[in-house]
Amino acid sequence: MFINMFFPLNAGLVNFSMIFKHKNLSNGLNIVGELNPDAQSTAVGFFVRTGSRDETDEINGVSHYLEHMLFKGTDKISAFDVNLRFDELGAQYNAQTSEENTIFYSATLPEQSYKAVELWCQMMRPALRDDDFNMEKNVILEEIAMYKDLPQFDVLENCRALHFGNHPCGKSVLGSADCIKALTSKQMRNYFESRYSPNNIVAAIAGNFDFEKTCGIIEQFCGSWQQKQADRKIEYFAGTAKKDSAQKKNLNCQHICLMSPSVSYQDRRSHAATLLAKIIGDDSGSRFFWELIDSAIAESASMHFEAMDGIGAFYSYIRASSQNGAKALQVTENIFKSLKTDKIKPEELQKAKNKVLSGITIKNEIPMGRLIELGVNWVYLGKYRPIEEEISLVNNVVLDDLYSLIDEFSLENFTKFSIGPE
Amino acid sequence: MSEKINTYKLKNGMTVIGIQIPAVQSAAFEFLIPTGAAVMPDGCCGAPAVIEDWIFRGAGGKTSRELNDLMDGIGLHRGSSVDSKHITLAAAMQAEKLSKAIDIHADVILRPALEQQQFEYSKQLALQGVLSLDDDPRHKIMLLLRDHFYPDPLGRNTVGKKEDLENLNAEKCKQIVFDNFDMGDSVIAAAGKIDFEELCDQLEKLFGNEKPKIPKAVIHKRKDHVYHHYPYEGAQVHIGLMTNSVTAIDENYYNARIAVAVLSGGMSSRLFTEVREKRGLCYAVGASYHTLKEMAGIGCYAGTTPDKAQQTYDVILTEFKKLADGITKEELERAKIGLQSALIMQSESTISRAGAAADDYYRLGRVKSLDEIKQKIEETSVESVLSFLKNNPYEKFCSVTIGPTEIKV
Repeated sequence: MFINMFFPLNAGLVNFSMIFKHKNLSNGLNIVGELNPDAQSTAVGFFVRTGSRDETDEINGVSHYLEHMLFKGTDKISAFDVNLRFDELGAQYNAQTSEENTIFYSATLPEQSYKAVELWCQMMRPALRDDDFNMEKNVILEEIAMYKDLPQFDVLENCRALHFGNHPCGKSVLGSADCIKALTSKQMRNYFESRYSPNNIVAAIAGNFDFEKTCGIIEQFCGSWQQKQADRKIEYFAGTAKKDSAQKKNLNCQHICLMSPSVSYQDRRSHAATLLAKIIGDDSGSRFFWELIDSAIAESASMHFEAMDGIGAFYSYIRASSQNGAKALQVTENIFKSLKTDKIKPEELQKAKNKVLSGITIKNEIPMGRLIELGVNWVYLGKYRPIEEEISLVNNVVLDDLYSLIDEFSLENFTKFSIGPE
Repeated sequence: MSEKINTYKLKNGMTVIGIQIPAVQSAAFEFLIPTGAAVMPDGCCGAPAVIEDWIFRGAGGKTSRELNDLMDGIGLHRGSSVDSKHITLAAAMQAEKLSKAIDIHADVILRPALEQQQFEYSKQLALQGVLSLDDDPRHKIMLLLRDHFYPDPLGRNTVGKKEDLENLNAEKCKQIVFDNFDMGDSVIAAAGKIDFEELCDQLEKLFGNEKPKIPKAVIHKRKDHVYHHYPYEGAQVHIGLMTNSVTAIDENYYNARIAVAVLSGGMSSRLFTEVREKRGLCYAVGASYHTLKEMAGIGCYAGTTPDKAQQTYDVILTEFKKLADGITKEELERAKIGLQSALIMQSESTISRAGAAADDYYRLGRVKSLDEIKQKIEETSVESVLSFLKNNPYEKFCSVTIGPTEIKV
């Protein structure tokens, strides 16, 4: 069944005319579309609700490895032909895997979007050939090695594992080199069968396109897929609040990651959490900025809120010279502690809102920016959230919402991991 | 694309470019101020990195905090950077905030407070930036590659040198601002929902009375392209190599761009296919066109574990050299559509469009329309690309590695 909603938006900030459409195939695959006739491009995405939190220890890293394997083609399309077809469309395309989502996306000129949809539909049923599996294993191992040379990433990965402990969200997205080496194609096929079920996938399209025509293509290729059970264990966990560190002799700086618990994507306070992170740790004009960057104690300091499925966390990343590392950590801890005494001022909240709202305007002018919002909202909330609603949700946040977060989730009670020179 | 390009000169010579894009609600601009790494006096490598931070620490009679509050108050998304010839100040915002954002930037550019204490903080941040570069070999290798490839001082490191930064003082930097913030030689490009006439009037009032200065000539010395290795006990060997190409003003510019796209455009391109897909040597491998006004090159990066480094380098080099042997019609078509679609998609972003227009103006003295670029790409042929490659073969390479092992070049 088609649902059409028309939103002429004029919230004083943006003035978009978007049309939302939705169709649910009988096997549970959801198709959501947001039409913008003024757009110069069309973005297409397949959002699979699966990631490292859905893996067992034995197959850790399989979601990300499988994401790579989808580009190796199907029984009818070779790996080279997948790349060839996308390039023939002039597509900008890629995929990403997180703890809980595997997202495949492309942007093309509007007239090419149907071919892109057709190609993605076919790729969602990959051949998973052994030869390709073995060759791609080398690429995955190189990717793991590459991130080892990026301490900014390495510290975050270690901190997440420490913070979540035995909770599934602590699992590495890439997996360890040993685990990847031991992984078999059979294990991957089994994982694929249970997780790439149509009821666990959302197809999203944003930009300038014909929704009915697109649905026809998706139904033709995906309509016969069989539904499987694709559950996820949802359990809230506030984090371990453990502290740990590592040394590497090739490093110059202290890389510090702090994590504190927060609300989930589904929580009504998620916009308040976004604003709180901006007030504390935006890259300009925030409390981190004035206390750490303005006085050159740290070279980089930022905080962001990550909303996840039934769980959430505040992440802070601080990079300072090795002499300043301890001081930077102390200042950060004081910033967190002082939130209860040095109250957030209405002007701080308003500035954070202005930044978020102008970010919405800029991001939403591009179909690829809209695509991610459209798909992710459907995955987490099972609903469409027009830009107008997004703006209201930000505007409606009041200081009490921020204090309710500060009272409930003591930021100073953080998990800490740092990596620095020996 | 229905965009309208206007260019206007203020009475002191400063160039204003406006690109009106209907159906967007944002506006973005980019200022090019001729204070890049290559025009610094000797011993001041890194001064522009200090200055780009320092000028935002109070201006126009406002303190650093008041200035920041003003920018945050209009939700400004801003960034600044340093390249060979310029400090670039860029900002994007909701269109109705454009005029306020320009006012703030006029204070920052023309009336920065440049206080001593604030200078020390900016200098410390720049020094930490140099230190943190050592923790990011992927970023560092590209800076090293340009430094070794381009004639001195054109490829000079934009982050700065530790010893030069340590010796910098506020007086020296103030003098650099005084000598180099030449409005007559500056460019502003704005794109999005803008009123060009209003913009020019405002800019004339704010900047038009600033007297132009005498632009400095940069004398550059060519370098021999030899191999440089930087030992680093990391997990991978980071490989960078760069070879000559032609600049945007050259009649073969689009043939050169097509050649790079065949080599490393999409995932069906030669480097990705031969290095990653067929041999599994790397996760990250790619080549891209890089240009200064005077000279251009194709830079290539690959990161791989030490036992695969030599093979990776050899395969990449072979692919570069093989290109002149022939390209297929299909490869040409994919390169064309890839470049044309990327062009249209980038132009949807007001930030990218303003940046591209400012760069065009600096390099060509005019802004290319999207239609013109599409047309020029369309005019290339297998014959024109091959003829270009035969006359400009990829023969000499500047190679740099960072990692636990060296390679043979």
